Amino acid sequence: MQRLPGVGPKTAQRLALHILKRSETEVQTLAQALIDAKQQVGLCSVCFHLSSESVCEICRNTNRDSNTICVVEDSRDVIALEKTREYSGKYHVLGGVISPMDGIGPEQLTIQPLVRRVSQQSIKEVILAISPSIEGETTTLYVGQLLKPFTRVTRIAFGLPVGGELEYADEVTLARALEGRRELD
Amino acid sequence: MYLKKLHLRQFRNYQDQRVDFIAPKTILVGNNAQGKSNLLEAVELLATLRSHRGSRDRDLVQEADAIAQITATLERQNGISDLSLTLRRNGRRTVALNSESLRRQLDFLGVLNAVQFSSLDLELVRGGPEQRRSWIDTLLIQLEPIYAYILQQYNQVLRQRNAFLKRRQETEDRRQELEELAVWDAQLVTTGVRVIRRRSRAIERLAPIAAAWHASISGSTEVLQVKYAPNVPLEQNHPEDVQQAFLEKLEQRAVAEQHQGTTLVGPHRDEIELTINETPARSYGSQGQQRTLVLALKLAELKLIEEVVGEPPLLLLDDVLAELDPNRQNQLLEAIQDRFQTLITTTHLGSFDSQWLKASQILAVHAGKLLPQT
Repeated sequence: MQRLPGVGPKTAQRLALHILKRSETEVQTLAQALIDAKQQVGLCSVCFHLSSESVCEICRNTNRDSNTICVVEDSRDVIALEKTREYSGKYHVLGGVISPMDGIGPEQLTIQPLVRRVSQQSIKEVILAISPSIEGETTTLYVGQLLKPFTRVTRIAFGLPVGGELEYADEVTLARALEGRRELD
Repeated sequence: MYLKKLHLRQFRNYQDQRVDFIAPKTILVGNNAQGKSNLLEAVELLATLRSHRGSRDRDLVQEADAIAQITATLERQNGISDLSLTLRRNGRRTVALNSESLRRQLDFLGVLNAVQFSSLDLELVRGGPEQRRSWIDTLLIQLEPIYAYILQQYNQVLRQRNAFLKRRQETEDRRQELEELAVWDAQLVTTGVRVIRRRSRAIERLAPIAAAWHASISGSTEVLQVKYAPNVPLEQNHPEDVQQAFLEKLEQRAVAEQHQGTTLVGPHRDEIELTINETPARSYGSQGQQRTLVLALKLAELKLIEEVVGEPPLLLLDDVLAELDPNRQNQLLEAIQDRFQTLITTTHLGSFDSQWLKASQILAVHAGKLLPQT
């Protein structure tokens, strides 16, 4: 249990004891669910989001705007963006960010399939939604460079959290927010 | 600013030690290896989150323990703050201000300001350029705390770019990686230019103050120049121009970088030139003259921080007072007066002015314990 992310020794013990206390059928259902998930869930062949089919539900959905692709690091980001229900386009999951120190170059990510997707279909806009770390920023620049010949490339804004007070924002966030300022409409 | 209380727990050779500072000057007296410098190091850590001894956190925690804690009460013009720094044998350090833990260590910087002056500082003159870069970086962190973030970003890009260049040496097809190199170049330039411009600005402000102090200590016979010699030429101060110069130099050195598999251009190769009468200070003059130079630099730091922050910083004199001749000692003490709270370590009180001893709080340090001395 302790090998699971975010689980320390105490939580691991609690989980283990909890499972032991439950009925056998309940534990069996959980175990089977884990195995099923592992066996059935793979990656979507189009956008590389987690999917139990070869093409995921989002990619198959004809009600969604297929002219817009939002590029993210990880499937977690897709789930977070989906929760907002504000985005109705398609996604592309890179599977990480460029980080030579960890041996991750562009070829380890799904950048080539993304370029193929964008160059072969009529894509109106690609939105880059990658975290603003050094590695994320480098990936954004890299992917942006490759896609610009084919379509309009934008990136999400970084800055003050909604509901946050200006005076409580830290300097780094404020500097970012200033950098990304825009015309008042 | 005035440091009122300090509490060290499992830090270095201190098991559990509280100190109340009751005079503008505190003298810590004791034999070598009793813990005098450790106490100053604790204050330095609170001010800069760095140690000039280059210690790793695991070395700061007492052997039998997992964590060490430094807490302090500081009085400033705008009120009293409680600072707390927790160091871990295995794991990240955490900081808290007024009992509230801070998400960013950056927000901890700038609460307490201090200038450290130890015998190691002679390395500023004699040592390699990395000593001087580290010195100006530590000063900048106190003047502009966001610089800590800027420097960290640059170092991260540098590490990644070096890893990339190393990996590139091993691959056959180099054309394919030109695009990735271009992106790392852009990142190096963007973050590097921020470092260059801030260093340049800081040295520009520091240089005249240091020169004035130097003239005053040496009796106007010698002229000290502190000059920034950036690795990337900095003729114009427009960020775009510096970026352009940076990119051009990267292009020039591209073959050499490919060959050596490491980044050869950027502020990690900056130099800060110290010259006396237009001769490099390293090769100029006696040890005494070099001491005068370092003293001038330290006094300049003190004044510059005071100017920028608006309050006099603390001065930490680690075993240096006794090494200065009476004339320089007096210059220093006169400059400090009662305005700068000063913590002084020494092995014996003999070399101090008696007037001066009377006005100071004297603490004896023995095997990680402090005892008031009368």
